[in-house]
Amino acid sequence: MIKLCNIKKHFISRKNHKLNAIALDDVSFEVNDKEVICLIGPSGSGKSTLLRCINALEIPDEGEIYIDDKKIDYHNEKQLEELRKSLGCVFQQFNLFPHKTVKENITLAPIEVLHMDKKQAEDNAIELLKKVGLESKADVYPNQLSGGQKQRVAIVRALAMNPKIMLFDEPTSALDPEMVKEVLDVMKDLSKSGMTMVVVTHEMGFAKEVSDRIIFMDEGKIVEEGTPDDIFNHPSKQRTIDFLSKVM
Amino acid sequence: MFSLNKFAEIFTLDYFKYLFGCAKLSLILAICSVFFGTLFGTLLAACKISRNKFLRGFATVYIDIIRGTPMLLQLMLFYFGLPQLVPGYGNMAFSTQVLITGIIGMSFNSSAYSAELIRSGIESIDKGQWEAALSLGLSRRKAMTLIILPQAFKRIIPPMVSEFITLIKDSSLLSSFGAVELLMGAKTIGAKYYSYIIPLCMAGLIYLLMTSVVSFLSRKLERKLNEND
Repeated sequence: MIKLCNIKKHFISRKNHKLNAIALDDVSFEVNDKEVICLIGPSGSGKSTLLRCINALEIPDEGEIYIDDKKIDYHNEKQLEELRKSLGCVFQQFNLFPHKTVKENITLAPIEVLHMDKKQAEDNAIELLKKVGLESKADVYPNQLSGGQKQRVAIVRALAMNPKIMLFDEPTSALDPEMVKEVLDVMKDLSKSGMTMVVVTHEMGFAKEVSDRIIFMDEGKIVEEGTPDDIFNHPSKQRTIDFLSKVM
Repeated sequence: MFSLNKFAEIFTLDYFKYLFGCAKLSLILAICSVFFGTLFGTLLAACKISRNKFLRGFATVYIDIIRGTPMLLQLMLFYFGLPQLVPGYGNMAFSTQVLITGIIGMSFNSSAYSAELIRSGIESIDKGQWEAALSLGLSRRKAMTLIILPQAFKRIIPPMVSEFITLIKDSSLLSSFGAVELLMGAKTIGAKYYSYIIPLCMAGLIYLLMTSVVSFLSRKLERKLNEND
């Protein structure tokens, strides 16, 4: 479903235009249909950058990404719009639109992008809000929501576009500890419903329980990948063992 | 110099009425210039954030020139230049000529300042808003008009209001060209009585009244717009 081939990406320091940091160093992997993949690793290891290359918020320096066997052309604005329609994206900082109500946040893209009928989009939004237990918040503005509620709305907003793949970029890292569970529960339900998901996370418990495959990254490279059992119980690389010993 | 007699003669309702009549021209100048200035300024701001190098360069040079030279000099260039450039300009009534010179000159001047206000307003919106909008499949144009601009607009209002207030005050520069706006009105009364202080203070009061009303209204608008933040 998603295939990444030899992705390389570096960032240039604005100060001296010198090569500053290598974010991704020759990364290749595949995501299959209905698979849930968790990307784990220390901060700055390139997990988020990788995710952002998939939905074209970052452009790789080298390498190709294929979605459903179609190569992403990063310079074709129309194709990128098409691509992003089929990818749902959830951010660490929620990025809800503060000038729109919860319902408007959710219905905006279906109406503007998919040209869905307003009534239908709204019914759809309420239906999805019910699933995450927030139907009573349909008409409030995002500033009146808690962090966990905001993130659940953000997930619903992405789901309203009926995406084929969901990308999560550290969805619980900005939340108060007691709100992490409500968001993870929604994500667990989603994975059970057969959604293809790529999740960048520091929640090892979640990764262990939900993912089909775990990819451990460090310094822009994939160090090790395998089933949760492989990674957590029988890691083969020293770097993985070191990392897990610190976070578990 | 300052006699109570003259004060009684000048500080009258009739002269206030006369000055309010003159203030109308100041307001017209300011309103027209802020309107055309914002319009042109929006285009300039769009150039400045565009990905086209040429447009960006044009906007930067234009803004630097306008902001780096005195407004009075710019107005003089238009005042002396327009009759040479536009055929038949000199045949219009003098008051119309001055009005048009004023509106064009002040609009050009204001556009440079509002362009920077609008640009910084747009750029102050969190990058995540762009990313969320694009990730939902919105085109760049729709992301701009539906998500970024409405949020930027709120932040631009307060500095735009101070730009408008500046224009109300700067319209007094047109008195150098014989436009009978508020300051010229005060000078006219002063000349009649050989006493300038009182009419100038009266004009000052009227400027203050106009600018206070504008600030008051903008504060109200701001409060209304910020209800959801």
